[in-house]
Amino acid sequence: MRLLIVEDEPDLLASMAQALREEGYAVDTAAEGEDGLFKAESVDYDAIILDVMLPQMDGWTVLKNLRRAKKTPVLMLTARDQSRDRVKGLDTGADDYVVKPFDLPELFARLRALIRRSANRTTNQLEIGRVVIDTAARTVTLDTKPVEITAREYALLEYLALHRGEVVTRATLYEHLFGDDDDTLSNLLDVHVSNLRKKLGHEFISTRRGHGYCIE
Amino acid sequence: MIFNSIRARLQIWYGLILLVILAGFGITAYALERGHLLGRINSELERRANFLANSLHPNHGPGRGPEGDDAPLDRPPPGDFPEDGPPENRLGGPPRLHLAPQAAGLFDAGDPNNFYFLMFSHDGRIVQRSTNAPAEALSTADRIVHQPPPEDRRAGENHAVHPRNFAIKGDRIEYKLEMPLGGAFVVGCSLAPELLGLRMVAVKLTVAGGVILLLGLGGGWWLASRAIRPIEDISATASKISAGDLAQRISLADTESELGRLATVLNSTFARLESAFAQQQQFTSDAAHELRTPVTVILTQTQLSLSRERSPAEYRQTLETCQRAAQRMRRLIESLLALARLDAGQETMKRLKFDLATVIRDCADLVQPLAADREVTVLLEVQPLECTGDSERIAQVLTNLLTNAIHYNRPQGKVRVSTELQNGSAVITVRDTGLGIAAEDLPRVFERFYRSDKSRTSGGHGLGLSICQAIITAHGGTMEVASEAGVGTSFTVRLPVG
Repeated sequence: MRLLIVEDEPDLLASMAQALREEGYAVDTAAEGEDGLFKAESVDYDAIILDVMLPQMDGWTVLKNLRRAKKTPVLMLTARDQSRDRVKGLDTGADDYVVKPFDLPELFARLRALIRRSANRTTNQLEIGRVVIDTAARTVTLDTKPVEITAREYALLEYLALHRGEVVTRATLYEHLFGDDDDTLSNLLDVHVSNLRKKLGHEFISTRRGHGYCIE
Repeated sequence: MIFNSIRARLQIWYGLILLVILAGFGITAYALERGHLLGRINSELERRANFLANSLHPNHGPGRGPEGDDAPLDRPPPGDFPEDGPPENRLGGPPRLHLAPQAAGLFDAGDPNNFYFLMFSHDGRIVQRSTNAPAEALSTADRIVHQPPPEDRRAGENHAVHPRNFAIKGDRIEYKLEMPLGGAFVVGCSLAPELLGLRMVAVKLTVAGGVILLLGLGGGWWLASRAIRPIEDISATASKISAGDLAQRISLADTESELGRLATVLNSTFARLESAFAQQQQFTSDAAHELRTPVTVILTQTQLSLSRERSPAEYRQTLETCQRAAQRMRRLIESLLALARLDAGQETMKRLKFDLATVIRDCADLVQPLAADREVTVLLEVQPLECTGDSERIAQVLTNLLTNAIHYNRPQGKVRVSTELQNGSAVITVRDTGLGIAAEDLPRVFERFYRSDKSRTSGGHGLGLSICQAIITAHGGTMEVASEAGVGTSFTVRLPVG
């Protein structure tokens, strides 16, 4: 899952980005509205965390401009908690609204819910054959036995599982799994896929040569 | 209590005044009616008495010559009657009055007034009486009730001096006509028909008065309710406002009446109250907003840090981040407290003489490192100028203005500080060569939490200029801003010198 955080307070931006990276997301950051809008328009993020009060172009404007082009789920982040602000945010096209100061676990939960909704699912449980993925706890079980899995592997698995039945291209996977700051070696993806196959069964992820990967 | 209500009190006063007026009117009407009736009776009595007196001499006994009007009773000189002898004896024979038939009709018992007469000799004995006369005449001590009207007096002018005596007791009234040479006629009658009539009048007046009083009270209640209704509107609106709905206004169609003007005044007060309240709310919300960001930083950073074991370097970084946030909160809290104290007038400004030029030079020295860092030159064009006030606070203002001027300047820009004396005020001008402030932002730069760049990257919290202005205002001075896009901004402070 790849996220964009647009926030002008440098300390907050840094700690949110780090926290979300540790949660297994690929995170891009922007400190200004225009930069944020540019990134949001050029990359297919799984969700965007957007602060309302930004220099030059504020969060409302970013959201309005973004909605002309994309349906990316947007979580507005603001210190204004008056009802009319929330109404304005939701009416402008925000998918959720979090008021500062917030708890990180709540932010994570709201992000998960946002991503889940955008994939048209209602629960945190993904069942694929013998494999069960809990997107809230970020755990994977095979025949009810827990499977040890790295954060990156989990992210890859979750993305493929969320797009079950679709062939996901390598480019798309790269885009959603790695942030701008990640060193992406071209064969890193193959290593993760191979590790997942070892843990969950070779047939679990099929390769469509020249296209990408797929979970049937 | 119902008597505390204005309407009830108005009503009581209406009622009392109406009652007094009606009572006065009724009593006057009754008195007039009574006077009229009594007057009629009196003149009737007089007429009959005179008739009796006039009919005396033609019907007098033999030996009596018609020597004059009063001759029959004049004739016997006082003292001529023996003590034990009735005067009629002296008049010879029973001194009967011989009444003409029409005169006799005057004292007919069939008359509802039952007129009667008594004739007294000069020694007070009754010498003759009508058949229906009571045994005794009313005492002359009884109240004299009426002076006959002037036209009746004329009737009496035919006679000599007539002391007129009317006596009234119970339902009897008597008129005593004294003869100049002694003796008297007493003519009386029953007042029963008149008293009955008067009683009817009294009843009618009371009933009419009662009806009018009731109508008046009803009308008064209606009027009072009408007059009170705007007050009730005002009261209802005021209670809604006190319950927290500041947007309420009194709606009055009539704005010209006293209450209408009151409502207008109250409405404008409510409007001011609402805007002051909204401003206060905005301020509180802005302050909360400003505090939220550093709190969010601390929360996020600590939650992140505690989510797993970290290296000492990471913990150090977390602590540094938290420290920055805490310092930011401290600055904000100090500014908020300073503003609150200035607003409340608790911040007393010292009134000491100081040299403005020295203070400006000190401030310029203070900001020199920042200026050097930003490659901005600070130029001073100041002359010694003695001012009275709190030099530390003035220095705070100048430092703030200088910092802003450096911060929002361009590299290799200039900041000019000049002083001059104008109309008894020290005028300090701080000019920068920065980008300037947009025209639409210019009127709002002194507003609390107003930041023209709407972000936190400048490090300010939007209270600096508000505090500066509050300090200058507390000194009795003024602060203005002018700006030209691309040329620069200048802040002008005017301080009274005295």
